[in-house]
Amino acid sequence: MGIREALNSLLGNTSLPKANLDKLFAISAASVTMQSEFDLRPSPRAGICFKPIESSEYDDARVEIEELLEISSRETGSSFRIITDEYRFTWVILEDTDFEDLIGGVHLVSQTFMEKGLGDYLLCAIFRFEKGKPVYWVYHFKLGRFYPFIPLDTKTRDSAMEFRIRALLEKDLPIEKEIAKWYPLWGIPL
Amino acid sequence: MVRWQKDRGLQVRMIGTMFLLALVYFIFIAVLAYIGIDSFLLLVIVMGAILLQYFFSDRMFLLSMGARVVSEQEEPHLYETLTRLCSIAGIPRPKLAIVNSPIPNAFATGRNTKNSVVAVTTGLRSTLNQEEIEAVIAHELSHVKNRDVMVMTLASLISTAAFFIFRNSISTSRISSGRGGKQNLWFIIPVFAAAVWVISFLLIKALSRYREFSADRGSAILTGRPSQLASALMKIGGMIDRVPKEDLRKVEGMNAFFIIPAVSGSSIMALFATHPSVEQRIAALDRIEKELAGRGD
Repeated sequence: MGIREALNSLLGNTSLPKANLDKLFAISAASVTMQSEFDLRPSPRAGICFKPIESSEYDDARVEIEELLEISSRETGSSFRIITDEYRFTWVILEDTDFEDLIGGVHLVSQTFMEKGLGDYLLCAIFRFEKGKPVYWVYHFKLGRFYPFIPLDTKTRDSAMEFRIRALLEKDLPIEKEIAKWYPLWGIPL
Repeated sequence: MVRWQKDRGLQVRMIGTMFLLALVYFIFIAVLAYIGIDSFLLLVIVMGAILLQYFFSDRMFLLSMGARVVSEQEEPHLYETLTRLCSIAGIPRPKLAIVNSPIPNAFATGRNTKNSVVAVTTGLRSTLNQEEIEAVIAHELSHVKNRDVMVMTLASLISTAAFFIFRNSISTSRISSGRGGKQNLWFIIPVFAAAVWVISFLLIKALSRYREFSADRGSAILTGRPSQLASALMKIGGMIDRVPKEDLRKVEGMNAFFIIPAVSGSSIMALFATHPSVEQRIAALDRIEKELAGRGD
C-alpha cells in the first residue's frame, strides 16, 4: 500500500480508481510463461467489453474506433467485429495471429474510449489461451488487474486450475488478490 | 522406501533460522548469567518443562482437541491408506484418531515416530475425496517423519522461559537475589527478556512455516501427486467457495460500475502465521510437480 493510499484510507477518502491501461501490456510476458509452464498458447482473438450508452461521445468513439481498426487491419492483417451480447454489453473482438499486435489493438480501442471520456464504461478486456479448452485472462479496467477464468461449461468454472495458474503467473501479471472479485463472464464470444 | 529429495533453498533457510534462534538463546543465557541470575535453577526448570512436554504433550493435545483414537476395525479404509503411506515413508504406523468437528483439519502429534498419532476431523472426511485425504495424511506423516513436534518443542522452550522471566520480572521487581551479580543491571531484565521473546517468537513462526513447506513436499513425494494436496488445501482453505459464480456484466450492471477499494493481504500478518498462505503452498507444490515430471524423463 502506497503512502497516498494509506493516507486516503486513514481519512476515509476512497476515490474511485480510474480505468487503468498501464498494466495491460503485462499479458505479453505472461503469455510466455503460460506456454512454458502450462503449454497454453495464446489464441489469435481478444475482446474488449464495454457498456454502450446513449451519448454523442459514445457514438463518436464508436465511429472513431471502427475507422482506426479499419486502418490498422489494413496494416497488420488483423480483423475485427463488433457484437452486442445478451447482457446488452458491446464487444469489440479483434483477431490477429501476432499476439503483440493483438495487445496493441486492445490498447488502441481502450485508449480511444478513455480519450473520449468514456473510460468509466470500459468493463474488461479478455485474452484467450487454449490447450483444448479455453483459459481466459480477464483484465478488469477499474481494478487495473487481471484474473483468470476457466469455464468448464455454461455455469461452472475450474477454480482449482485458476488457482494453479495464478500461483505461477503472479510474477508476470498484476493479479487481483481478492478472489471474491473474480467474476466470471459466461459465454464469452471469443 | 522412497528417496527423500530435498529442497536445498528450504534447507538453507531452515538451518539459517535455527542458527539465529540458537544465537538468540545463547546470548540470552549468557546475559542472564552475566547479570547473575541463577542459570542452574533456570536450566532445571527448563529441562523439567522439556520432559513434561516431551512425554505428555501428545496426550494433552489429543485430549484438548477431543480426538478419539480409533481401531483398525472401525476405520479399515483410513488405516489401509495410512499403512501404505507409512511403508513408503519407512516409518512405523502411527495410531489414527478422529475428531468430531465440522471444520476440515488434520494434525499429527507425538514425540517420536513410534508414539505418534495422526488425527483427522470428520469435516475433513466429508469435504475431501479419497485422493485428497491421502495427500493430507501424507502431509501429517511427513511431520511425524521430520520429528516436527520435537523440533518445535525444543525451539520454543527458551522462548517460553524468556516469556516467564519477562512476566515475573515485572510483577516482582527482582527475580531472586543474585549471588555476586551486577545488581544495577536488574532493570534491563524485563526489556531484554521481552526482546528475546519477540525475536524468538518470529523466528519460531518462520521455522514453523518452513516445516510446513517441508511436510507439503513430503506429501507430494509420498503420493507422487502434488496436485492432490494442492486441491485439498484449496478446499480446506475455503478458496473454491469464495470464487464468485455471478456474471461480471450482471454485477456491474446492477451496481452501476461499483468499485471496492482493494485493501487485501497485509504482509505483517504473514510474519506471525505458523502456516504459509495456501497460495504460497500451492505455488510450491506446482514447482514440485515440475520437478517430479522432470525426473521421470
